[in-house]
Amino acid sequence: MAKPQAQSSEIATIARQELASRLQERALVILNVTPKESYADGHIPGSISLPVVDIESKARLLISNLDQEIAVYCAGPT
Amino acid sequence: MGEQAVGLLRKLGYTNLRHYVGGMSDWVEHGGAVEKIDAPVQITTPRVSVNRETKNGLSCLELVADLPLDRLIGVWVGMIVAFGLVYWLAGLGMGWGLHVGSTEVKSDLDGFGTAMYFSFVTALSIGYGDVIPVGPLRILAVGEGIAGLLIFGCVISKLVSRRQEELTQEIHRTTFEDRLDRVRTNLHLVFSDLGAVQQLQAEQGALPDQVLRRLESTVRVFRGELQTIHDLLYRSHVEPDEETLESILANLVVCLQSLVELNSSLPARAEQSVSLSTGLKSVSALANEICGECVPRVYAPALKESMDQIQELARKLI
Repeated sequence: MAKPQAQSSEIATIARQELASRLQERALVILNVTPKESYADGHIPGSISLPVVDIESKARLLISNLDQEIAVYCAGPT
Repeated sequence: MGEQAVGLLRKLGYTNLRHYVGGMSDWVEHGGAVEKIDAPVQITTPRVSVNRETKNGLSCLELVADLPLDRLIGVWVGMIVAFGLVYWLAGLGMGWGLHVGSTEVKSDLDGFGTAMYFSFVTALSIGYGDVIPVGPLRILAVGEGIAGLLIFGCVISKLVSRRQEELTQEIHRTTFEDRLDRVRTNLHLVFSDLGAVQQLQAEQGALPDQVLRRLESTVRVFRGELQTIHDLLYRSHVEPDEETLESILANLVVCLQSLVELNSSLPARAEQSVSLSTGLKSVSALANEICGECVPRVYAPALKESMDQIQELARKLI
């Protein structure tokens, strides 16, 4: 399973169109990193909640596979 | 915040990360569908039923003490008025009425006021001594004094413990909500993991060891969540609202279906690792106990139906 890894500090992005077309896909985990309250207020369908403050403690519990494709989003571009 | 999150995840070792920069605001702006979680789960006050043995006269007092605050005050005032009426009527000719100094209080309107006044003063154990009971009324007055104090004590303790009760309730509610949240998220992950395994299998035929190991851990997580749901249905003294339960059960059905499908194409039981086969066995045992008729509470027909479905799937899993 050795994959060449792009070790750049740059963050790969995902466009809205691609995200929208892959909502149903199980191979993509969509992660909402806003606080629980704003997640409850509204989120992209199928996305799961993992607030930034919980990442270190809970990420491994939620997503065991390190190679899992994950799309991360928050409230806005800031 | 998104970038910070990606950084944190990368530090934890995740490699396949992508950032949707626009976030929620961009999504909404371009008309993307939005899902919401409705108002927090409504949970009724957990009623802790105390096993109460009927012990002589005290059980009567406990019965009173269990009343809500407003009723309790009502009982207290009612009792004082009733005693007042008795004091007043006792003056009717029998010569047992209340006395002010050495003159008897008459059973007229004026006397009524005096009787009520005496009743309140007695119940509050003030006892000015300006109005005094005579004869058998003295026993009655002592009795009223005792009852008045006890009930008043209950009122005070209710007032004091009110805040405490609110806090406990709040703690119950938050832990409960947290637990349900976790169940939902984990079921979702189990489902996506099972899906991924299924996809791999479709592509490659037999499953490589690594995938089987992953399946093992997925089944373990699933088992844990199933246990929680099982507890929720059987033991919990807080009842989840039906909507939440419905979504959880629906998730559970989907996960089980996926697992059943997968199971039918797995290598024979003998070739499976011990951990996987025991995991599957306990999943099926737990799910087998979830059906509309066997859970202690009665739920809406739709919920019963999905519970029955869960049992049916559990039997297929063995």
